[in-house]
Amino acid sequence: MKVHVKHWSAVAQWRWNTGNNDQDDEGDVCGICRVPYEGCCPSCKMPGDDCPLIWGECSHIFHMHCLLKWLGTAPSKQQCPMDRRPWVTAERKIADTSNNPI
Amino acid sequence: MTSNAVRAQVAAKWQDAFTRLNRAEPGITGLMSFSEAWTLVTTFLKPYDLNDPTPRTQYDMRDIRTAFDTINKARRLPVMLENFLEDLHKSEHLIAREVEVYMNLYESNSDTETIKALIFRLVEWYNAWKPTPELGYTIVAAYTLDFQTHLFSILPISFARGVKTLVAATLIGTPSQPSHQHDRALWQAFDTLSLIERYETLIASVGYEYIESHVLEICTGQWAEPMLGNLRSWMIDKIVPWMLWPFARGATNADEAKAMMQGVGSRFDFHMHKTLCDLRTREIFDIIVDFPDSIGALQDLKECLQRVDQRAELVQSIRRAIKKRLLHPGADTKDILLSYVSTIKCLRIVDPPGVLLFKVADPIRRYLRDRPDTIRCIVASLVGDGESGDSLVDDNEPVVPLQQQEIENYGDPDWTPEPIDAGPDFRASKTSDIISTIVSIYDSKDLFVKELQVLLAQRLLALKDGNVDRERRNIEILKIRFGESALQMCEVMLRDMTDSRRIDQHVQSQHATIMHPTIISRHFWPALETSGIVMPGQFKELQHQYAQGFSHFKPDKLLRWLPHLGRVHLELELEDRKVDADVPPLEAAFIELFSEKNTWTVDELMSRVGAVSRSATLKALATWVDMHVLKEDNESVFRLLSIAEESNSGTRPSAPRSATVQDELPPVMSIQQQQAEQMKVYWKFIEGMLTNLGALPLDRIQAMLKFAAGYDRTIEQLGSFMEAAKREGLVTTKDGLWKLGN
Repeated sequence: MKVHVKHWSAVAQWRWNTGNNDQDDEGDVCGICRVPYEGCCPSCKMPGDDCPLIWGECSHIFHMHCLLKWLGTAPSKQQCPMDRRPWVTAERKIADTSNNPI
Repeated sequence: MTSNAVRAQVAAKWQDAFTRLNRAEPGITGLMSFSEAWTLVTTFLKPYDLNDPTPRTQYDMRDIRTAFDTINKARRLPVMLENFLEDLHKSEHLIAREVEVYMNLYESNSDTETIKALIFRLVEWYNAWKPTPELGYTIVAAYTLDFQTHLFSILPISFARGVKTLVAATLIGTPSQPSHQHDRALWQAFDTLSLIERYETLIASVGYEYIESHVLEICTGQWAEPMLGNLRSWMIDKIVPWMLWPFARGATNADEAKAMMQGVGSRFDFHMHKTLCDLRTREIFDIIVDFPDSIGALQDLKECLQRVDQRAELVQSIRRAIKKRLLHPGADTKDILLSYVSTIKCLRIVDPPGVLLFKVADPIRRYLRDRPDTIRCIVASLVGDGESGDSLVDDNEPVVPLQQQEIENYGDPDWTPEPIDAGPDFRASKTSDIISTIVSIYDSKDLFVKELQVLLAQRLLALKDGNVDRERRNIEILKIRFGESALQMCEVMLRDMTDSRRIDQHVQSQHATIMHPTIISRHFWPALETSGIVMPGQFKELQHQYAQGFSHFKPDKLLRWLPHLGRVHLELELEDRKVDADVPPLEAAFIELFSEKNTWTVDELMSRVGAVSRSATLKALATWVDMHVLKEDNESVFRLLSIAEESNSGTRPSAPRSATVQDELPPVMSIQQQQAEQMKVYWKFIEGMLTNLGALPLDRIQAMLKFAAGYDRTIEQLGSFMEAAKREGLVTTKDGLWKLGN
């Protein structure tokens, strides 16, 4: 017998590729707003490409809007809020989200 | 010995009487003529037997008048009157006898004609004995009074019944003739005998009964058109002309008649309204069910209620009917909701301020609150899920935001006090919007929003063509009602659907595949049931390819499959036939395994698809058995039918299975399931509490749980949770104290 698949309407969830590929995890949260990465930052309404993540060289990940807001404040001193090292965006990742206007 | 004085006195008296009678005529001629006159008049007046066959002596009225004059001059009239009445009494047995004959006849045959004949006969008697009017008003009045007093004293009770049927007959006969010639004589006879005064209430009751039966006959079950107009003109055409006789006799012109009939007329009018009002009150539930085809009846009812104060009865009637016919387990929630909506609409017509509605709605709302599927029903109807045409929402009704209870503004120049019969907790609902009213059954609209998300998720995942226009339209409408922010999650769900199509187009353009997934944003969809299915064979390959294509398109994103959701369209190429099937993924996974080898045991199959329950496995296999693709040879051993077998040659007759191939909605967790899921978290707290502190009362547990983050349950919800835990043997309760069970 041969099985030919003609059409498959499957269902999937998207996740940010944060390097954490544990299947059962509840999902990490943004260290600034405490909202899951796949949610959206407090100023956004649509998750996903409209509210992307930003990857730091220091391996910390935030909602991009959250981090930019933080970096815009004086006390931030342009440091990562988690480890107080100067914030450097991981170049590889930001290039990939280039279809975002911000 | 009589003294001279006495004698003189007697002589004087005698002389006096003589002179009076003799009227100064010569000799005793005066006396003689008086005596003649007396005899003449008394014989003339003397009541005689109508049945006496001997012809009556004819009198010359001039003689009578002269004789009467004579008596009058002698001032003997009062004596003559007394004499006449005396004679009358003596002859009354004649009438009594005849009345008895007639009444006996009537009692045996109950024919109104008998009564009619009797009345005419009585009139004959009356007229025969009646003194000529020339004899003066006094004597006629005295005669009439005496005659009637006697007559009424001898008429038996059954006579009243007879009169009633007789009067009723005058109503039932041909109407429209303003003065029914036929009845005129009868009414005149009634009048002559003063029967109208005597039986006034009886006659009126005939009117009442006639009106009542007419109203019932014309209006029962006729709800489409207002009937009051018809009834009013009927009253004018039929009842008013009839009333002229008994109630406006002797009226010389229209105005006078009007004035005379005003009292009884308004009573009749009231009775007509009351009858209609009672009728509609009895029918009210069916009228509500029939709405909007029963608007006429409602308008009538409104007018009647203004005339007749029956509002309390109406409320009682509706409440009774609703309790009996609607609020029981046999009624569908949807039907209850529909009836509630109809009730709202109906009572708004009858009573715009909403006092009646408030009184009636309370039990329905309380009952609906207790039904588990009320919200789902309302929401389904909101998004136009109605498979039947009966939608709660009228499409013509403008969509307006949900209205909140307003605080009364006493500065409003149009402010009016609450209606007089409003209850103490009456809140004038200024809302005209049905949906607002229904949503306000519950204290918060969050429940609706949550249920809406579940429903939307189910419908989106069940979509076959990916066309979300309908859902989008629904959500846009609901946004107006519930507010933009409440439906944010629905908005994301819809966008996921369009994004999925866009992504799919892109992925397909790079590498065409038959897989078209819906990619959803977690946290924005209601909790989906999880499953541990691992798709085997080519399915895994397809998933992998697609995920790669996706990650190529969106490099910083990954796909996590929810393999148990969705549908697969397959074509099986067997040795002798092709089978086309549209099945859930688990079924597809199993049949894929059968392409490896022809015979599998259930346990082998289960080990190849990850974590799947046995019942789900058997159900999936049963789908193929029903399609005659697989066959269960032995217990738990399935074989592929490469060559079709006659279905009836099987080792056991395939029992008719319940329609397993039916479209099932995707397994989205219901609100209740979600809540139970969340409660599990708190169970840990409760467990710890009871371990450390021993037995605790419910309110104490609640108070402590409030310290936990995000705990928003009421004590009732906690109570039912604890009850559930008790059923599972986790806790025991004694004297209101809960402790851990062993």
